Amino acid sequence: MRALRASGWRRLGPALVLIAAAAWIWLTRVPASAAGAGQIPSPRAGFPAPDFELLAPDGGSVRLADWRGQVVVLNLWASWCLPCRVEMPALDDVYARQQARGLTVLAVNSTIQDRAEAAVGFADEMGVTFPILLDVDGAVSRRYRLRALPTTFFIDRQGIIRSVIIGGPMSTATLESQVELLLAEAP
Amino acid sequence: MLPIIQVGPLAVQAPGLALLAGLWLGLSLAEKEAERLGRAAPGAGAGRLTGEAIYQLALVGLAAGLIGARLAYALRFPAAYRADPLGLLALTPVTLSRAEGLLAAGAAMALFGARRKLPLRPTLDALAPAAAMVGVALALAHLASGDAFGLPTTVPWRIHLWDDYRHPTQVYELLGALAALGVWWRQSRQAPGAPHAPGWGQRFLSVAALSAAARILVEGFRGDSLLLASGLREAQVWAWLILAGSLWGLARWRPARLEDEAPARAPAP
Repeated sequence: MRALRASGWRRLGPALVLIAAAAWIWLTRVPASAAGAGQIPSPRAGFPAPDFELLAPDGGSVRLADWRGQVVVLNLWASWCLPCRVEMPALDDVYARQQARGLTVLAVNSTIQDRAEAAVGFADEMGVTFPILLDVDGAVSRRYRLRALPTTFFIDRQGIIRSVIIGGPMSTATLESQVELLLAEAP
Repeated sequence: MLPIIQVGPLAVQAPGLALLAGLWLGLSLAEKEAERLGRAAPGAGAGRLTGEAIYQLALVGLAAGLIGARLAYALRFPAAYRADPLGLLALTPVTLSRAEGLLAAGAAMALFGARRKLPLRPTLDALAPAAAMVGVALALAHLASGDAFGLPTTVPWRIHLWDDYRHPTQVYELLGALAALGVWWRQSRQAPGAPHAPGWGQRFLSVAALSAAARILVEGFRGDSLLLASGLREAQVWAWLILAGSLWGLARWRPARLEDEAPARAPAP
């Protein structure tokens, strides 16, 4: 009798576990209406990119939200950081080729740990064509929880951060492929 | 969360460190387990299971997995990688295709095992502690980086992460992985072939089943799940399939016991 009970449980047990697991999967599904709703902007893949407004060296200001609808590569850098300097030409190259398809590169200099003159001098020397922004009081560095330089955020047309690359220099292929992934999505 | 550990001028990425440590520890355990099981495994001889064989098997899997994952990613962007072939060597996890990497690792390990005539089920059993330990390391890596974060909640044990109070899913994940490791540890104390000891392959399947069940449970609290069109969480669906396969295997690879035969014997005079 005991053996029969044990044998029955051995057959029934796994089926019950699978049914319970399937029920849990169904219960915890995410309704289409709730997917992505109510998310707080945060510097993480899958979250809306925190908005900011920064001054460019020429005195004009740039706001991240103004670029909604474009794919944005947000690169945090400093002029003394060697990997940042090495990847800058690749960023410029990809920007020059993909700008027409809706790509923007915003290079935010972490000026709180750099000098504005050094940042501008380096950008001039490199001849970069995308906007250089100065994070003078470190607000953007803090908001984006900058822990290592360079750090690059890939933001899609809906303003969602899709991937983050901490450290560098990024290879051109890495940069190009990550950008292509987002540009290929419908506007 | 502690994503970066500053050691003098060096910024060490804590999640990567946790994964490397887990891999090393898991492989060390797998080597010892292979020696222990290899002495008792059936089919001893040309294809004997040894610590060295299991180490090589894991390395082959790891190398094939990494190469496969990078090549699969690069094949999606042929023009970018043709222009910059050195990009194939970039140390960037976002440019790895995980599913293809896992397939490549599995295929390479199966080929290596067949070539070395390693007995399938004892080899899987020897790999069980490595799988369980990698699960623990992955949870610790998530804990360090803040990845695999939970849904916003008001439960008393919520944690403040990414600008909200959330389920500590990294801790749930760690508990699940530790449970799988604990089950393996308990089973590893039983000599192979002893009464009530698990059958060959069951140690591995127990770890797989528990890990899958834990994933199904924990994923339900995650705030960053990949979703299928129906709103189902992709990881849960895969984990359910692994759970089903593991439970089926556990029943099929169960060693014959005296009590199993009792009902059949009963009517005999």
